[in-house]
Order: sequence, then C-alpha cells, then structure tokens
Amino acid sequence: MPERVVTIVPEDGLHARPASKFVEAANEFESEVTVGHVDGESVNAASMLAVTGLGAAAGDEVRLTAEGDDAEAALDELERILTTPEEDL
Amino acid sequence: MTERRLSGVGVTPLSGVGTAVWYAPDAELDEPPAPESVDVDAERERFETARDDARAEIRAERERTAERVGEAEAEVFDAHVQFLDDPQITEGVEGEIDSGLPAEHAVTRTFEGFIEQFEGMEGRMAERADDLRDVRDRLVRVLVGGDRVDLASLPEGSVVLAERLTPSDTAQLDPERVAGFATVTGGRTSHAAIFARSLALPAVVGVGEELRDVADGSDVVVDGTEGTLVVDPDDETREAAAGGEDVEIRDEPVETADGVPVEVAANVGTRTDLEPAAARGADGIGLFRTEFLFLDRQSPPDEDEQYEAYLDALARFPDGRVVVRTLDIGGDKPIEYLDLPEEENPFLGERGIRRSLGPDADLFETQLRALLRAAGSDEGGTLSVMLPLVSTVEEVREAREVLESVAADLAEEGVEHAIPEFGVMIETPAAAFLASDLAEHVDFFSIGTNDLAQYVMAAERGNGRVADLGDYRQPAVLRAIRATVEATEGTDVWVGMCGEMAGDPDLTELLVGLGLDELSMSAVTVPQVKRAVTETTTESARALAERALAASTKAEVIGVLTETTQ
Repeated sequence: MPERVVTIVPEDGLHARPASKFVEAANEFESEVTVGHVDGESVNAASMLAVTGLGAAAGDEVRLTAEGDDAEAALDELERILTTPEEDL
Repeated sequence: MTERRLSGVGVTPLSGVGTAVWYAPDAELDEPPAPESVDVDAERERFETARDDARAEIRAERERTAERVGEAEAEVFDAHVQFLDDPQITEGVEGEIDSGLPAEHAVTRTFEGFIEQFEGMEGRMAERADDLRDVRDRLVRVLVGGDRVDLASLPEGSVVLAERLTPSDTAQLDPERVAGFATVTGGRTSHAAIFARSLALPAVVGVGEELRDVADGSDVVVDGTEGTLVVDPDDETREAAAGGEDVEIRDEPVETADGVPVEVAANVGTRTDLEPAAARGADGIGLFRTEFLFLDRQSPPDEDEQYEAYLDALARFPDGRVVVRTLDIGGDKPIEYLDLPEEENPFLGERGIRRSLGPDADLFETQLRALLRAAGSDEGGTLSVMLPLVSTVEEVREAREVLESVAADLAEEGVEHAIPEFGVMIETPAAAFLASDLAEHVDFFSIGTNDLAQYVMAAERGNGRVADLGDYRQPAVLRAIRATVEATEGTDVWVGMCGEMAGDPDLTELLVGLGLDELSMSAVTVPQVKRAVTETTTESARALAERALAASTKAEVIGVLTETTQ
C-alpha cells in the first residue's frame, strides 16, 4: 500500500483551516486514506473529527497511506496541503 | 453605586457602553422516553432531515459571513459542515438511535464524548470544542424547533453576555445595535474573538464565573483595551469608554499627502449595512449589491420597494456617491421565482448583464425605472448605475438603449426622474482588453477584483487547491488592472475598485499608484484605508506600482510590497 511520511509545515499544525482543506481533499479521492503520527495510531483522513483529534502540530511527522486506484494522486495532494504554509493555502 | 471591574481578555482595542442582555442558547432537553417506545426508523429519518436543514443553514451563514466579514472568517463554516457530516458522528448518532434514543438525545450524547475529548487537549485544539458545541446546538435546535434570543434584532445599545458565543452567534450580531460582548469562556484566538475583530466590535472574553453574577439589564462598559467588563460604571469610565479606537474615523474625504483625492467607499448588501458604512466614515457606497433585495422571498420586489431602498442609501450619504449594481444573478444562486437553469458551470454561464438583456429583461426594466426615479429625487447624493459581468461593447450599448427607453417612458408618464451616471464593472479579461472601447460608452469603471482574479487566472474562488493562482497579487491581475486604468487616461472616465483587494490597507499605496480614483470595501477597513491614503504620496505610490508591475511572479510582487513596509 502506497505510503508517505510528511513533516507538517502550517504553523498551527493540522488544525482549523489546513485540517479543513485536508479533510475536504481526502473526501474527493476514491482511495481510502489514513493519517497518523509515525509512532502512533492511524485514523480515517476523511473524518474531520479524527483528523483534528490527532492534535498534530507543525514540525510533527505524520504517515499518510492510501489504498485505491488514485492512491498516488491522493498522496500528492495531501502532501501538498501538509507542506504548504497556511497563508499560501 | 460603586463600579465593579471584572477582568478578562480584551480582543479589540475598542470600548462600548450599554445594557447587559444575557444570551443563553442551550436548549434543555426532557428526559428521554422508554427505549421500546422509540420508532427507530422515524428517528433516523428525523436525524437525516435535521442534518440536511442544518447543512443548508450553515451554508447560508457562510455566504452571509463571507459577504459581511470576509472569506477567511467564513471558512470556519466549512469545518462545521465537515463535523456535521463526519462519519464518526453519523455512526455514533445512528448507534444511539438504534439503542432506543430519540434523535435529539442521540445527538447530545454522541457529541458529548467528542467535546470532552477536545476539551482535554491543549491550546488551540481545545477551541475546536466550541465548533462541536455549535454544530450540536444547531442540530438540537433544528430537531426540537426551539427559539432563542434573536441576536439579529436586539435593542440598540445591547451588550451581549454569554457563556460563549459560537461563530454562528457572532455572525448574526448586528454591529449597529450591539455595543459589545463579554463571555465567560474563550481566548484571544477563539472564533468569537476573530469575528469581533473583523466586525470591529468591543469584546472581552474569558471573564470567568464572575460574569454570571452580572444581572440582565445592568449598565456595563466593555473595555477591550484593558480587557475588563465594568458593571455600574461611574461617569468618568463611561466617558472614557465612549472615546475611540486607535484608528481615527474620518468622516470627510481624504487625499494623499500631496493632495490627490481618493474616494473611500463601502460595499453594502442590505439596508442594515448602511449605518455601519456611514459610522466608519465611508464617503459613499461603491458597490450596492442589489441581489439581496431579491433573495429569500417568493416574488421580486416591485418598482416602489426598490425605489425606497435606493433612496435610503442616497439619504445616508447626502454628499457622496451611491453606485448601484444591477441584478447580478446566475445559476449558483437559489431564487425560486426566477426559474434559473441548471448550468454545468454557472460562473461562465448566463448571469449578470447576460440575464438582464435576456430572460430577466422585465426585471431589468423595473430596476432601471426605480433607479432613474431615485436619481431624479432631491434626496442626498449622486446615484450611479453599474452593469455586472460585461464582456462586449454591444452589451453596454444595448443596456444603454434600455435605459434611454425607460427614461422616455417615464417622461411620457410625467414621472420625475434623471439619467444617472452610467458605468460597468471590469471583471472579465474581455472587459479589461476592451477597456478603451468601453470607455467611450460609460462614465466610470469599477474593477471587481474577486471575479477579475478568478477569470484572469482561470482559478475558481472557493477552491482551495487553486487559491494561490486566484490571488489578486498575481502579476497578471495587476497588469489587467493597470491596463484598465491606462485605457481611461485622457478621458473623463473615473476608475474605482470594489472587492477584497480594495479593502486591504497593505495594498492601498499600490492601488493609488496604479491610478485608482475610488476604493470600495467592507465598512470595517474604511478607516485603515483612509489613513493609508493620507500616508502616501503619488510619487512614491507610482514608483511602487512600477516595481510591482515589473514583477513577473507573485513572490516578486509580495517582495516588492513587503520591502516598502519594512
């Protein structure tokens, strides 16, 4: 299953606006996508509740996984969101 | 009586004096009935319907907030929709219903667990609990149909006291009537605080339990600078509070340091926006969005109703100008009585002037009749009529013909009227390219930067994936603006700008340098932009504009803009 480890760039972490964009994007792909701290549990990336509940901060490393036909495209887009400063998002 | 000071966190450098009004939105639920008496299928259906209604409400508030406050502040409502539709919430509620709870109790119980989980987290994460409460309260209210204090129609001079205010609550607060607010909980970065700043409302949050002892109807002062709520203030405190904020409100028109006047106006949608616009020192109305007269009703407003609305705006700005945009409607706006077609891409479809010269010709004629009558009244300032989404010279000619035939009809009927100033919005690349041809047919242009950026960059506004492209600081957008202004040089045509760009005080100098004669924005930033105008000179502004126009990337544009502020 394709996966990727990404360091979170937005200053406020995976929270508020970046989280909202992230979940919105995760919902747009066919693939099942998960996200979680590299040393922790992974959650459904399409759930705002679960994603915000991770409490992932700027500088944290998270692991993204995706399973489905558009897995690589999903990972590309989610990685882009996690590595873009909030003001440019 | 001696005054009492309660301390909290001030979120705006503003003060307000008023009467305390407690706002308690939480609906108390009765004990749930016995599980075996609950009709599970019916309750699941109630929940689904409530969720649909809540979603529609949130979207409507999002629009309203984007309009009144700004796109960034409106985005919190996107998160609310995501919480509402979250798979974990849905599973939880359905599970509770299956175990025999009515929908409203199932919602309350499901949210409770998640709210506690967020409250246990640190810092800003804890504030997401507010979002969850907001969504829960909305669902419960939709389900049980309860009323709450209507924040949109409080008595004038109310100071709202509450446990907390959710984004939906603050979005409804009418700054004209509300003197400020204070809350028991909340921090500087809570949504309530952000909204207070955007709407320029005096506010103190996080006052704590002591706030509960303040009785309904007490005289209070909200001092956002000190971060205190003063109960039974003495005269001195009262007077000090009636003073101002750090940015001076200038009621008179402003000019650059070297004496070039720049009109600073406000964008309005509804009648309630007029008072804040005047109070913030706007010279006039640079964009009156008339769609609001047509939304949320069963039939279009008639000529007299429109005439009254336009007169109201003119009366509010006796020495200024009121630019009224004719109906700008397309397939993305729900107006039942217009029978708008489903379009694959409504932003590139039949909208704005295209409908006014097509299926909505009758409405257009009625609107012009009302406008010409208002222009002919001796009430207040100058009336200007502006056409939206123009992309050809023929459209302008044709609209002008309609206007002239309306004037001829009015003359024949012996109805008092006048020909208003006539202009077009520049918001399509076509209009920017044709600006010198269009200029021969109009008195003014107003550049609508939100749509201009969207159409020049082919990047949809609400789509975060292309937000970087749709930015008005893109060099292609700046050059389209400059081309438009350049096309009017040596003519009597004046050029204004409405849209978010005009209200950004960090860009005022650039816009002056690009040659704009008028800037129109939401009322809040009028004082900041007026100040920015007075602090620039045409020479430095032009030099800045030249450097910005020479930039070939957005990063370079931002570089040019920041090097001058440092």
